[in-house]
Amino acid sequence: MSDPLKNQLKTLMIDTLRLEDVTPADIVDDEPLIGGGLSLDSIDALELVVRLEKEFGIKIGSSEESRTALASVNALADYIRAHADSSRLPAA
Amino acid sequence: MSVPPPPIRVAACGALTAFGDETVTLDALLAGRTALAARPVQGRPGDDLVPLALIPARPYDETLPPGWLPALQTLAARIPGEGWGTPRRPVFVTGSNFGVGHLLAFRRHGDPAHLDLGTPYECVAHVARTLGWGPDVTVISHACVSAHLGLLQATRTLHAGLADEALVFSFDFISAFVAGGFHALKILNADFPAPYQNRPVGSIGLGDGAAFAVLTRDRGDFALAGQSLHNEMHHFTANRADGSGFAACLADLPAAAVRRVWLKGHGTGTLEAGRLETAALDQAFPDAPLVSWKGALGHTLGSCGLVELAIALAAIRRGRAPGTIGATAPGFTPAVAFDAFDLAGFDGVVCTSNAFGGAHAAFIACHA
Amino acid sequence: MLERWITALRTEDAGDESPAATRERLRDLFPRNATRRMTQLGIVLGSTLQPLRPRENDTVVYASTHAETLALEGYLDSFPNPSPTLFQTSIHPSSVQQNLIQLQQPVRELLPLTGGDDLPALALQAALLAPTARTLLCGGEERGGWLLEQGHASDRTFAFTLVLSTDATDAIGRVSLEPAASDAPFRPLPLAAFFDHLHHRRPCDLLVSPGRRLVLNWST
Repeated sequence: MSDPLKNQLKTLMIDTLRLEDVTPADIVDDEPLIGGGLSLDSIDALELVVRLEKEFGIKIGSSEESRTALASVNALADYIRAHADSSRLPAA
Repeated sequence: MSVPPPPIRVAACGALTAFGDETVTLDALLAGRTALAARPVQGRPGDDLVPLALIPARPYDETLPPGWLPALQTLAARIPGEGWGTPRRPVFVTGSNFGVGHLLAFRRHGDPAHLDLGTPYECVAHVARTLGWGPDVTVISHACVSAHLGLLQATRTLHAGLADEALVFSFDFISAFVAGGFHALKILNADFPAPYQNRPVGSIGLGDGAAFAVLTRDRGDFALAGQSLHNEMHHFTANRADGSGFAACLADLPAAAVRRVWLKGHGTGTLEAGRLETAALDQAFPDAPLVSWKGALGHTLGSCGLVELAIALAAIRRGRAPGTIGATAPGFTPAVAFDAFDLAGFDGVVCTSNAFGGAHAAFIACHA
Repeated sequence: MLERWITALRTEDAGDESPAATRERLRDLFPRNATRRMTQLGIVLGSTLQPLRPRENDTVVYASTHAETLALEGYLDSFPNPSPTLFQTSIHPSSVQQNLIQLQQPVRELLPLTGGDDLPALALQAALLAPTARTLLCGGEERGGWLLEQGHASDRTFAFTLVLSTDATDAIGRVSLEPAASDAPFRPLPLAAFFDHLHHRRPCDLLVSPGRRLVLNWST
């Protein structure tokens, strides 16, 4: 069963980073976001952080923390669930 | 085989930091003080607090005329000689941000007068008019290696016989434009910088800085015994993991120019670059003590190479080098000097700076 | 006198073309998805720089008066939540770095200059003083948005790369900076006008700044 938060994250990634010819189904949940098949780098990760902070009201304090949080879609979903106000999360 | 020209001489060199001129700054650094203070990153209540070192009484938001201009005038009043900006006495202005804070001020407040200072060349033109310079002003902008490039271009101009003396003038004043950007990169955060300290989280501080150097072929107590550059072009904000970029720049320095050196590194407080930098310096100059002063002054960005040269020369005159303030053991390598140390027995200093895109620059400064 | 042979030249004049149109027109010159974060200036510059294959022992001199105008505008517009991508991209000399990083091509010396109407003369001097056998002098502008409306940006997009060599083999032209009386009247040659001389292979013999005479000749 698809995870609405992960789906939302994937759509957000495609939109924020202007990924051409990429659909949410193309993004693998446990694959590294940085240096993986999407060819994203650390600057892409930071751009995503700005969007995530705005969308979910979280605060990522350092580049080290962003690297951990954005290790994969799975890691990111776990991070957001742990740090965001539940009212900002999509209904399960 | 052509004989290399003699090292270019530094006839005068001065700086301005949040502490004051290079002598006052040296005193503060030797006393272990920091000019960094926690300030709202965009200058508004409720903003995240980040470590900034601003010159006293300067408004953070850009004003008209610029709040930093009087400080620049005070610094420039110390530059010896006249006729700067003429063909035989050219000026090389270096920086990264110039008046870019005025663009944000325009966006916030709508006053189009800010735009006349927003682009680098318009900002420098305003400064040049204010300081009474002629039109021979070259503007070099390559982020944190800008000052090194200015020194190099001035050197080449002198060696080619195109000028009698050359002025290198560098400035970078912090604005919400710049602080906001580094904060978005997550390297300017709530933690104060601890250059070369082996710790879990990295962070930088930012500081105001300005400096000048008058270079000549034959006059001055100090000399630049070698200058080198290298650009990795691996990634905008990361270095090659093997440290080869750092090594390539250092390899081009004439190691035989001086027998025993100390090292004034770039050391902003970020972790990965700090590890690579210390390892490369240790490899190239074993046992040379290494310091960074950005833990006290903040990173003065486009002016850092020249600001820190002025302080290094003041330290050589004083006979004592400040340590790496803001950091404590363990360092990335045993060479990191946390405390001040005497310079008896040292022949010169290797000064390095690094920038986005894996840009590296280095020179050796020593007694002439 | 400082002089070099011109052994190659590429120019790209995108005029008032939109960034999207430039990206669409030139995207095949770059790897797939490579233009995603490139600026319009980065793309047009790359179309002239990359075919000339910069090498590690080259000097690259880069000249732009306004540089990454649209990234700058975008970054300013992103406040109070500043975009790290646009901040990074707006920093001089981004357009050169966008291309050389894409190529993973180190260069020993990169000298990025900015300036007003005197910029070509000063950039040329920097290039002619470079100690390397081969120097690439490149530059350009991109058409601005709201900064252009305010009169502080370029109104056209263009880029060029010149290869300067100490070797006359296969030279297509020659460029020199010759000394002139420092009090002789001069007429600055802004970057766009310098570009037009290159783009149309027009010769030039002008006092462009105090004490500097720019001479540009073409053999083909």
